[in-house]
Amino acid sequence: MIEVRGLTKLYGSLVAVEDLSFSVAPGEVLGLVGPNGAGKTTTLRSLVGIVRPTRGTISIGAKRQLAFMPDEPRLFEYLTVEEHLRFTGRLYGVRDSDGRIPALLRELELAEKAGALPDELSRGMKQKLAIACGLLHEPKALLFDEPLTGLDPAGMRRMKQTIVERARQGAAVILSSHLLHLVEEVCTRVLVIHRGRLVAIGTIAEIVGSRPDLQGRSLEEVFLALTGT
Amino acid sequence: MISAALYLSRRSLANATRRRLARLRQPKYLIGFALGVLYYYWLIARPRSGAAGGAAGLPGAGGEVLAILLLMNWVFGSSRSPFAFTPAETHYLFTAPLTRRQVLDFKLLRSQLPLFLSSLLSVLIFSGGHFTPSRIVRVLGLWLVFSALQMHYGVAALVRQSLEEHGVTAVRRRLGVITVLTGVAVAVALILRRQLPEVQAAFAAGPAAGLDALGAILHRGVLGVIVWPLSALVRPLLAPDLATFAARLPAAFLVVGLHYVWLVRSSLAFEEVAVESAERMARRIAAWRSGRRPPPSERRSKGARRSLGRLAPVGSPARAIAWKNVQAEWRGSGVRLPVIIVLGVAAVAWVASLGAAAGTGIQVLATLLLVFAGMAVVFGPYILRNDLRADLLLWDLLKSYPLRGADLVAGEVLGPVAVLTGVAWGCLLAAFAASLAIDLPGFPVLDRLAALLATAIAAPAFLVVITLIQNAAALVFPAWVTLGPGRAAGVEMIGQRMLTMIGSLLLMLLAFLPAAVVAAVAVAIAGVAGVDGVWRAVPGAIGLTVTLGFEGMLAVAWLGRVFERSDPAAELGG
Repeated sequence: MIEVRGLTKLYGSLVAVEDLSFSVAPGEVLGLVGPNGAGKTTTLRSLVGIVRPTRGTISIGAKRQLAFMPDEPRLFEYLTVEEHLRFTGRLYGVRDSDGRIPALLRELELAEKAGALPDELSRGMKQKLAIACGLLHEPKALLFDEPLTGLDPAGMRRMKQTIVERARQGAAVILSSHLLHLVEEVCTRVLVIHRGRLVAIGTIAEIVGSRPDLQGRSLEEVFLALTGT
Repeated sequence: MISAALYLSRRSLANATRRRLARLRQPKYLIGFALGVLYYYWLIARPRSGAAGGAAGLPGAGGEVLAILLLMNWVFGSSRSPFAFTPAETHYLFTAPLTRRQVLDFKLLRSQLPLFLSSLLSVLIFSGGHFTPSRIVRVLGLWLVFSALQMHYGVAALVRQSLEEHGVTAVRRRLGVITVLTGVAVAVALILRRQLPEVQAAFAAGPAAGLDALGAILHRGVLGVIVWPLSALVRPLLAPDLATFAARLPAAFLVVGLHYVWLVRSSLAFEEVAVESAERMARRIAAWRSGRRPPPSERRSKGARRSLGRLAPVGSPARAIAWKNVQAEWRGSGVRLPVIIVLGVAAVAWVASLGAAAGTGIQVLATLLLVFAGMAVVFGPYILRNDLRADLLLWDLLKSYPLRGADLVAGEVLGPVAVLTGVAWGCLLAAFAASLAIDLPGFPVLDRLAALLATAIAAPAFLVVITLIQNAAALVFPAWVTLGPGRAAGVEMIGQRMLTMIGSLLLMLLAFLPAAVVAAVAVAIAGVAGVDGVWRAVPGAIGLTVTLGFEGMLAVAWLGRVFERSDPAAELGG
């Protein structure tokens, strides 16, 4: 369960996130959408503890139960694919990583690249590796920031299945993306954020239902109307 | 094309300057800038006695200096070309309707401004505060030398890269260049060997006479022909007046022009090799698909050197971080440099033993090994940077790990310390082993053993402290320390580096002072307890190591808290 109350993050006089409150239950996938600079990444980074919130409370459980998959894969230059997973497993205390690693490599179609260094991988493969590292310890809370970036159509399909599968297994998932069709397809609820403030939250039907002027419009038009962009 | 290159250089310089000026609003950059300006003032404008800075002030053996630089580059240089394209250049230039040669010309043109500024600064520094209009001759002369050197380095890098990436294909394609270079090297070695007695005799009369004799040999016969391009290149720089400079220019231009042709041809040849290699790879893949070869994925990855030990699934996270950093040192370092150093040490020892008393060679060898051990301890932490200085580029990833800050810092520091301790211990042990073969009056074997133990005990503690200070600087002042392999530029960065250096020295002094006191007390107690001579150094080293270790633990705990409280976005932006 992820619970956020009154989250505020200031950078000097710049308000990145202001008084944001929401919760994500186990098995739920919350889509975090908003225009560029709305505060989505800052929200995710606050949740995972990378940045310290200026105000507010975050209840997300132990860090070992959490996984953050950033939009830009962060990898170590001189560790191979398999060594990245082994290293991550050690940091998260995964005792049976020897058994989990081959299965995860197969699931994310990285088995043939197990001995490759990051500079031998394509952008999509790097993204898959970063996600594999995040999934290795079977986290209870998953935070994805633009998870489909750089993936080919087959990889996108596989990634969507992976996200949904983890939610089905009981993980609370937050997915930040500009890809509205992805949000519509995968997420059970949507949180629209604009200039750091919550604009709308709920299922797409609930959001549209609360605004009669948005009835019958496409998701893209709803998004543009909500964020005034 | 020229106008595009000039526009890019002009706008980049203007925007970089504006950004640096804007950054001066932050006190730390302003202080750094002020110190940087003072430093350059001290370098350039300080009054110096006898600073005529004329032609006589310049080294006359310019050609020889160039020869040494080129030789060093061919032996030690990397395969990274000085003309490597940035991602932005690759994106914009290679997709533009330009020929490969035009793209190279563009890069060459862009590199001229930094070379000119370097020439200007060098002449300003060496002019002793007396920069006269005639010094422009020096600036232009040095610019020519720098340009030719850069092109030469570019060719050398291409040859190396080609050989590394395309092996046999490249050897076949570059056979002409390799044959000529090998021929020149062999000819120089044979001629020098023949002239060795003459040079030795001259050196026996004094170093100046020796250097004169060496210079004379280098400028006559076949060697004179080989060295001529280098002499021609530096002669304008050494010209006493404008008229002589102008007269010497055509020959220098010829050398620069030949380098340009060589670079262009090498660059195009490199691409041909790459294409040929790609075709060969395509044939291999076809063979694999038809079942005649194992798939590429089943063979060991070309880029990944074998792992140094397997990481156990459970255990201390600090050890896991240290393991990662040791892998990075192992895979990131080449084998060429250590091999060259070992061969060089052996060669120096052998040369020293020629005609000298028995054991001199071994004595020189042992001394060199001790020097290397000392250098590993003192300078190693500045060279091996696979710790927080590299990993803070992944600051947010590190912060997302379920680790105590202290565990992370300890692991980061232990990686390079482990590698450098191995190097230092290896050198110390080899020096000790070598010393067993010789008789050293007044320094018996048992005393040498005591010295070995004391230095081996103290070396890791020194390394921990120096490495910790470097990591502390990166963590506490990330904007002042270069993270990753690059190097930040600018006057304020010079000042900041000076501040960091002064701060590091002060911290080292603070750390070593109590340790030295404890060590001195331990030595005194050992003396009172009847421990003999050099053996007193062993308890002294233990006292020093324990004190430094304790200080190191306190520093790791503090830095861990700093890391936990840090905000990557505020420190690095983004």
